[in-house]
Amino acid sequence: MSTSLTKRLALGAAVVLIATLAACKGEAPAPGGPAKGPGGVPQFPPYQMRAEQPVGNRLVGGRDPQAVFEHQCGYCHLPGGMGTNLLTKQRIMAGQPPETGILANRTDLTADYVKAVVRNGKNAMPPQTRVDMTDAELDAVAGWLARKR
Amino acid sequence: MKLTLPPRISPQQFDTALKAFAGVVGEGWVMASDADRTAYADVYAPGPIDQWPAGAAVAPSSTEEVQAIVRLANEHKVPLWPVARGKNLGYGTAAPRLKGSVVLDMGRMNKVLELDPKLAYAVVEPGVGFFDLHDAIERAKAPLWMSVPGNGWGSVLGNALEHGIGYTPYGLHARNLCGMEVVLPDGDMLRTGMGAMNNNSAWHLFPMNYGPTWDLAFSQSNLGVVTKAGVWLQPAPETSLELTWDIPEEDDIAWVIDTITPLKIAGIIEQNVFIPSWLGKIVILGQRKDFWDKPSAMPEWRVKELLKEHKLGYWRVSIRLYGDENVNKAKAEVIKAAFKRHLSAPPFEVWWRQGEEKPALDISLGTPSAVPLQMSDWVGGRGAHLGFSPVVPATSEHVMGQLKRSRKIIADHDVDFYASFTIGGRFANNVNMLMYDRDNAAQIDNMKKLFNALIDETAKAGYAEYRTHLGWMDRVMDTFDYNNNALRRFDEKIKDALDPNGIIAPGKQGVWPAAYRDLKQEGRA
Repeated sequence: MSTSLTKRLALGAAVVLIATLAACKGEAPAPGGPAKGPGGVPQFPPYQMRAEQPVGNRLVGGRDPQAVFEHQCGYCHLPGGMGTNLLTKQRIMAGQPPETGILANRTDLTADYVKAVVRNGKNAMPPQTRVDMTDAELDAVAGWLARKR
Repeated sequence: MKLTLPPRISPQQFDTALKAFAGVVGEGWVMASDADRTAYADVYAPGPIDQWPAGAAVAPSSTEEVQAIVRLANEHKVPLWPVARGKNLGYGTAAPRLKGSVVLDMGRMNKVLELDPKLAYAVVEPGVGFFDLHDAIERAKAPLWMSVPGNGWGSVLGNALEHGIGYTPYGLHARNLCGMEVVLPDGDMLRTGMGAMNNNSAWHLFPMNYGPTWDLAFSQSNLGVVTKAGVWLQPAPETSLELTWDIPEEDDIAWVIDTITPLKIAGIIEQNVFIPSWLGKIVILGQRKDFWDKPSAMPEWRVKELLKEHKLGYWRVSIRLYGDENVNKAKAEVIKAAFKRHLSAPPFEVWWRQGEEKPALDISLGTPSAVPLQMSDWVGGRGAHLGFSPVVPATSEHVMGQLKRSRKIIADHDVDFYASFTIGGRFANNVNMLMYDRDNAAQIDNMKKLFNALIDETAKAGYAEYRTHLGWMDRVMDTFDYNNNALRRFDEKIKDALDPNGIIAPGKQGVWPAAYRDLKQEGRA
């Protein structure tokens, strides 16, 4: 995904959040949903296609970690996903930039932390089974998410 | 989660069985650590997660492997609990009804086997999720739409087999299934419908068997393991028009139902119409404590205040039309005229046309999303929900009766009221969403009492649930009491004939095989 698209999508998530917070403060949303802008078009990133599951044995390493992340975690952790929305809210509340709600943008994750959250779950996130993500996949993805540290 | 063995199986016998399974799928696909058992538990369990404990899980990659596992399960007398992707959140997730069962996780069988844009259907394996099929359709540039439920993370087949509901013209998901391949409890294979003939090309097109039709006998069922099935899809429409009204008062639901139902039955409205109460629009805006900071149910005056503050009606109706622009315009006129007889405010209208980006998060456009699950954040902490889901005739008389009854029971238990009615034609599915914090024991205890009261009182009034959580499968089955529970007696006769060892999903939907019938009192919530 290009950097400009990532920025645009993070911005989209932030706009939704701001609309949401505005709604909490009592500014009325348009009918048809809380997050609709002029003309009723939602200010929200469009559906994000996930990468295809990379071919190869899921039980051994060596497959593209970014593709594994997008395919397996992308249900919730691409821009506009449930995990991104909840994390964006948490990050803003914690005084962090909204785009850090997108896991791929984080610079402070450690591989061990990612593994612990994936296997134990966290708040609204359920623990992931080894069919959802094998140990080899998790090793690769955790390393990839921690790469910017 | 510690190991719980299946009934009457020793640790050594269990270990031998798991080794035999590993001989089929490979060691890496037999999952039997404490962490694995936790991952297969019911994450939304109303109570401790070890109330419905899996002993282990095994994940086959082909029909042949499913057959081999089922045969071994018979040999070793180890019960299996088949799940498609195991994301049945609110109804038990992947957890088994009978303790110690081995979850047969079909998640690795995730191929889209066929996609036919001309006759508008796909053939998929159980591990194909809504996101997966959506992306496969997009990649193939096939002019097809699917119908998706609130949680798009789950399986297309699993959801349909559990009688899941979506909000497009193809929203009654079990009706979209056509032609299945099933591994039977003895490891034999069956193809239903026209597929019962070798090389029959109408397998996924004609929905009946020659003779008795069995497809739906494998839905909410423990008679076999579906390994693939045809799923009918909606041809992508040229345009879509959404009409949205906020409906001011609680009792207005009466005229809303009596206005929509005839239009739906006549085919002017094709989709399943989802009508959520006010809380459905608020949950996504924040957490409960932002709106009401006391543990008691939100009082009527605060609800009124919030509706005024957010300029919301008690209900919201969005009707979506699909097809050619002129047809949609004509249908919209009929619908608007019908609404105008009761409500002077015009609807909010949004057009979508081919070539435009679909509005995100609108599941009535067939785009999968897991965002509706965000509501678990409403209560904070490890939030969870249960759905109490009775079916009533789609008339004002029945809907109002159901609304007032459940509203009173929910209020008596001091719980917030969050309901929706989905008009599917002649019937309406009423889902009462009960949200709780998994770490609040008193709240969970209250929810369980409330759930029992809802089942019992609703049955007394002559209505039943269409689907329920593991812990209430028996209690709901008990409500089907015609002729001394003839339905369960019939189900169990068939179960015993097909599955003498009772190894496929014992207790599923309150249907117990002879081998485990003595245990049916266990595991009730």
